[in-house]
Amino acid sequence: MDIITYKNFSWRYSGYKGWTLHNINLSIKKGEFIGIIGKIGSGRTTFCSSMLGLIPHFYPGTMQGEIIINGLNVKKSKIADLSKCVGLAFQSPANQLTGAGTTVEEELAFGLQNLGVPYEEMHKRVDDMLNLIGLEKFRKRSPFELSGGQQQKVAIASVLIMNPNILVLDEPTSQLDPLGTEQVFDLIKKLSKTGITIMISTNNVDYLSRFADRIILFDNKIVKIDTPKKILTDINLLKKHSLTHSNITEVSLRLKKMNLSKKELAIDFAELKKEIEEIMK
Amino acid sequence: MASNILLSYVHKDSYFHKIDPSTKLLITVLVILLTFILKNYIHIMILLLFIFPIGIKSKVLRMVFRPVSQLFLIFILLFIIQGLFYPLATDKLMDLPFGFTLWKDGLINAANVGSRLLVMMVFGFWFVLTTHPGDLVSSLRKIGLPNALGYIMITTLQMIPRIQSQMKTIIDAQKSRGLETTGNLIKKFKSYLPLLGPLFMGSVQQAVEKSMALEARAFSSDCPKTNYRKTTIHLKDKIIMICAVALSIIGVILSWTL
Ligand SMILES: Nc1ncnc2c1ncn2[C@@H]1O[C@H](COP(=O)(O)OP(=O)(O)O)[C@@H](O)[C@H]1O
Ligand SMILES: [Mg+2]
Repeated sequence: MDIITYKNFSWRYSGYKGWTLHNINLSIKKGEFIGIIGKIGSGRTTFCSSMLGLIPHFYPGTMQGEIIINGLNVKKSKIADLSKCVGLAFQSPANQLTGAGTTVEEELAFGLQNLGVPYEEMHKRVDDMLNLIGLEKFRKRSPFELSGGQQQKVAIASVLIMNPNILVLDEPTSQLDPLGTEQVFDLIKKLSKTGITIMISTNNVDYLSRFADRIILFDNKIVKIDTPKKILTDINLLKKHSLTHSNITEVSLRLKKMNLSKKELAIDFAELKKEIEEIMK
Repeated sequence: MASNILLSYVHKDSYFHKIDPSTKLLITVLVILLTFILKNYIHIMILLLFIFPIGIKSKVLRMVFRPVSQLFLIFILLFIIQGLFYPLATDKLMDLPFGFTLWKDGLINAANVGSRLLVMMVFGFWFVLTTHPGDLVSSLRKIGLPNALGYIMITTLQMIPRIQSQMKTIIDAQKSRGLETTGNLIKKFKSYLPLLGPLFMGSVQQAVEKSMALEARAFSSDCPKTNYRKTTIHLKDKIIMICAVALSIIGVILSWTL
């Protein structure tokens, strides 16, 4: 069953000429892991916002077409209702903090209070989440006094704790160090195995090539939707959109240029290993 | 001057930190009502005496008076202006040089207004210092406070320290662009004007962003809300509330009959 459907969706910010997103048609199945890539200004944040209904409800502009999320027509639904099934981690984590909690733990609990989660369960879920993201030490700190990376983790946790069916992450590792990035992607991968649908905007192709089921390439429209293999080894296409390919693909490319291998470009370690093993024979 | 006033909840292990926020709110509201009902500064100052046992038992007495001492200048100003220029003045105390007159009823009026302000501030600070915003909202929600109002209360209580730190950031930024924030009073006032822009422009932008953050967390959903912080009105809360109301009534009657 499709959990996300876009039918001829277009969006234009008021006062601007031309569509920021034009004629988007899309069906995402429950449990899919989707990577969203594109150059700066290609409309990825706009697309992510539309899944929670911030577009069209919060921004002035013109919308055409239809978005159906988890059976809800976005245009006709309250964001508060959409937020029960869609968790959106904003591009800038500081904007995610509501200020309704004086501490990290209260900030995390805020969504649960609004959903009417009982006291005992709420405390358990907050404890578990703090453990999961490794911020127990910071539970009593003001979320406004955390580093960007820590705020990013709190922001992701604050929506994740509400148990959404669909987790939308808009550049969730932009402020994280390599270890933090690794942790967040590991966490996302784990979540994905539990059956929730992941939509992640990131240009970190190393991770996408390993984890994503499909990748959407944006440039104010959908340029291409395909498997990581098809998109992330199309070097000319990536270059055209100011994107780079992964290190593994680069190694594979060089092997090919040296005429050592005639196979198609490798995208993950297993493929590269196979390629090298064949060369060794 | 204002930068070191700390006006937010301070965690302490005290009797009054542990009682229910509604109880403390009732005490504070009663005191504020009393300052308006009592007409005489002596009576109002007697009300002030109550802050000493309460403040000591709450372990925040010094913190309650610290911001007051920083506003000392305002009180002096109040007495000078009212003493010299009280419009309804009839009772002369003495003549001053340059044709000024010091009015007795002006000074009494200043004492009335000043004592009222002082008592309100002191008890207001006491309330803010001893009451966790989360507990306050959690407690008030139980007696029917709407969700949105609760959020406004929490953020307002946190706003003062936040605005202070924002002011500092903006001032630093403007200074690095060559803005003078020292000098005489008029110069100072003029130089602070350009700071208001960023402060308020920022606020509108922030308000939109905050409401998006709130909606993303099901803020206006229809389900009944629960609280992360537990508050309960115990027997001692009820006793304190009844005593506070009774004392207030006795106080009013005494002040009318004396
Ligand atoms: N609030 C807004 N008002 C007007 N235009 C906007 C707004 N937000 C984004 N845009 C424009 O829409 C385009 C897409 O932006 P965005 O979705 O943020 O792209 P991305 O996330 O891929 O960098 C950009 O050209 C940007 O200038
Ligand atoms: Mg973006």
